[in-house]
Amino acid sequence: MFYIHQTSCISPQQSFRDINLDELNVYSDQRLLAIEPGYNGIPPGVLRRMGKAVRMGVGAAMQTLQNKAAPNGIIMATANGGKEDCVKFLNQIIEYDEGLLTPINFVQSTPNAIAAQIGLLTGNHGYNITHLHLGLAFEFAVMDVVMLLEENPGNSYLLGAVDDISLYNYVFEEKDDLYKKEPLSAHLLYQTDSPGCVPGEGATMFLINGDQNGSLAKLVGVDTLHSEDPIAVKEKLQDFLRNYLPAGEVIDLLLSGENGDNRLLKYYTACESIIDEHVAIARFKHMSGEYPTAVAMGLWLCCHILQKQTIPDHMVKRATKTLYKNILIYNNFKGAQHSFMLVSIPT
Amino acid sequence: MDRIVVTGMGVISAIGNTVAENRVALMEGKCGIGRLETFPSKFAGILPVGEIRIPNHALQEQLDAYEPGVTRTSLLALYAFKEAITNSYLSIAQIATDTALIGASTVGGMCLTDEMYYDSKKGGPGSEYLSSYDYSATCMYLQKRYAINGPVNTINTACSSSANAIMYGARLIKSGKVKRAIVGGFDSLAKFTINGFNALHILSPEICTPFDADRKGLNLGEGAAFLVLEKESEVADKKIYAALSGYANSNDAFHASSLSENGEGPYTAMESALTVAKLGAGAIDFINAHGTGTENNDQVESVAMMRLFNKVPSFNSTKANIGHTLGAAGAIEAVYCILNLSEQELYPGLHFKTPISGLELQPIPFYKKATLTHVMSNSFGFGGNCSSLIFSKA
Repeated sequence: MFYIHQTSCISPQQSFRDINLDELNVYSDQRLLAIEPGYNGIPPGVLRRMGKAVRMGVGAAMQTLQNKAAPNGIIMATANGGKEDCVKFLNQIIEYDEGLLTPINFVQSTPNAIAAQIGLLTGNHGYNITHLHLGLAFEFAVMDVVMLLEENPGNSYLLGAVDDISLYNYVFEEKDDLYKKEPLSAHLLYQTDSPGCVPGEGATMFLINGDQNGSLAKLVGVDTLHSEDPIAVKEKLQDFLRNYLPAGEVIDLLLSGENGDNRLLKYYTACESIIDEHVAIARFKHMSGEYPTAVAMGLWLCCHILQKQTIPDHMVKRATKTLYKNILIYNNFKGAQHSFMLVSIPT
Repeated sequence: MDRIVVTGMGVISAIGNTVAENRVALMEGKCGIGRLETFPSKFAGILPVGEIRIPNHALQEQLDAYEPGVTRTSLLALYAFKEAITNSYLSIAQIATDTALIGASTVGGMCLTDEMYYDSKKGGPGSEYLSSYDYSATCMYLQKRYAINGPVNTINTACSSSANAIMYGARLIKSGKVKRAIVGGFDSLAKFTINGFNALHILSPEICTPFDADRKGLNLGEGAAFLVLEKESEVADKKIYAALSGYANSNDAFHASSLSENGEGPYTAMESALTVAKLGAGAIDFINAHGTGTENNDQVESVAMMRLFNKVPSFNSTKANIGHTLGAAGAIEAVYCILNLSEQELYPGLHFKTPISGLELQPIPFYKKATLTHVMSNSFGFGGNCSSLIFSKA
């Protein structure tokens, strides 16, 4: 359990600084590219050398930490961070036949570069870690922060997730049939009946502590599962709700990670089947696109919805309520990695 | 307070395929570093590396591991994983139900440097390795092979990765989220890392000489190690090899690929691990140092040890035996520390001649029996990621 106090989100939508989610940014080139803001507070020389993932991560982190006391640790999640430099260095190795190579891409290819850069630029000597377990990287970072606050109740932590669409992951995932073959505008994502999703990217940051006062949202619980069996996923969700939903409380909204891939619908249907018909359902992958840590934008949207008590129309799959207190997030990556988070109004 | 204890270990490295083989090699002061052989590279036959001289097909045969897309990194991991679970008498049902798997790797499937290069180009069909390059691929492989339902996670803090995997597993148990955790690290030699460290000019053309005044850099190595962690109250009559009593992670926040002069990160990691273990610096009997053999690391680590300890305890760097195994290093060196404790013995630091001027620190010169209660293991990585673990006598 923890409380979210400050957030920032660089995404393909207007989610950074002047937030406007009612108008959906529609992309036509089959990739939802993040709208990168002007990066204040990063020395230009440093900024130039950063890859996109590091740049977005550091930019979102700086915005989150602005005018705040330094956190006691930096906990990041990324599956693709650093891979752009990885492929650049790989190209050097092959094209220069293992000759004299420049090390800059190699140093930046390590996936801990985002957390490390944030630590370096803010002079933070605290706990510093990167979770990179693909579609569950963010959930394990969340779990890390839950444990850190159990161990050190007075502390605060920067939690974040960053993934970019780089040459690396785009070509690999394209060959691995992750993406839709046909051209598609993201707002039509859920009307298709074809395999594949639309790729996206983003950086989302949260400042977390154990203090309810002034917080935006409360993370009540998180759990994960590796399985390809929809029944196992359904049972895990039932366990999760038994463990975390307080007696007498109900889920008001299911924020679903549905991504337009018809191969994965069975998992979403299985989860929807056990929630009450009075539960509203909303979706967000048409805003974020699909990437391994996209669920972080889902958590960010929960904070937004709980604060504003309204959901942008384009997100709504089933409208039932006008009051949102408890939100369940269910997400799924490639039909093999599943996660649940329960997010509530801070009380 | 219920201690987190180690009930099983598995390791494969350049000096042995099992815990027992590694122990004998350490006792005898064996060095497993030789010229690169197992894959074609401009550095083959020239560069000294800590290689495991078992080709992939032989590993596959021994492990009955013929899944499509399986990489050398996953094979080495499976090798050590099997030994650890056998050693801890874990049943397949236990592994599947209430056990976490926390792994760490810095190379992952990028050991397939050439295949990855071709797959990264547009057009043409993908190879069987498309989903093997990801850092998470090895844990995903083990998850599938053993149908693990508990938390399965992959961590990266560069060269200190597996120390943090060990920490994360221990904390999952302490918080009551799982009953036990299988934690470790794995990396295989790759063109990718060899060329990367070569470009940084920190590879030694000769066998590495940690803490020596004339050290010329590091040798890369490969390997894997796993520990089985459980609560002391729940292990019944199983053998306990050691307790994990302290751990910490701190950032040096100085430079992407080198450590600050006074070793703020290493100092804070060691000091905070002592705090978690509720021990004073004087309680540490031995340190398995990070000791890569680079100019920067050994100087800074020495300074940090001298700042923290009134008298620097006995120490050595087993990277002189097996090379720097990157994401596997923290876990392999944890196994070696646990052997120090369970066997009450110290292994010689190899290839050392002259102390660094002004520091005058010397690794342990000979094998000896010793009374050891608490030992420390250091792991530092790119990005300033410094971690220390403290193991205590069972």
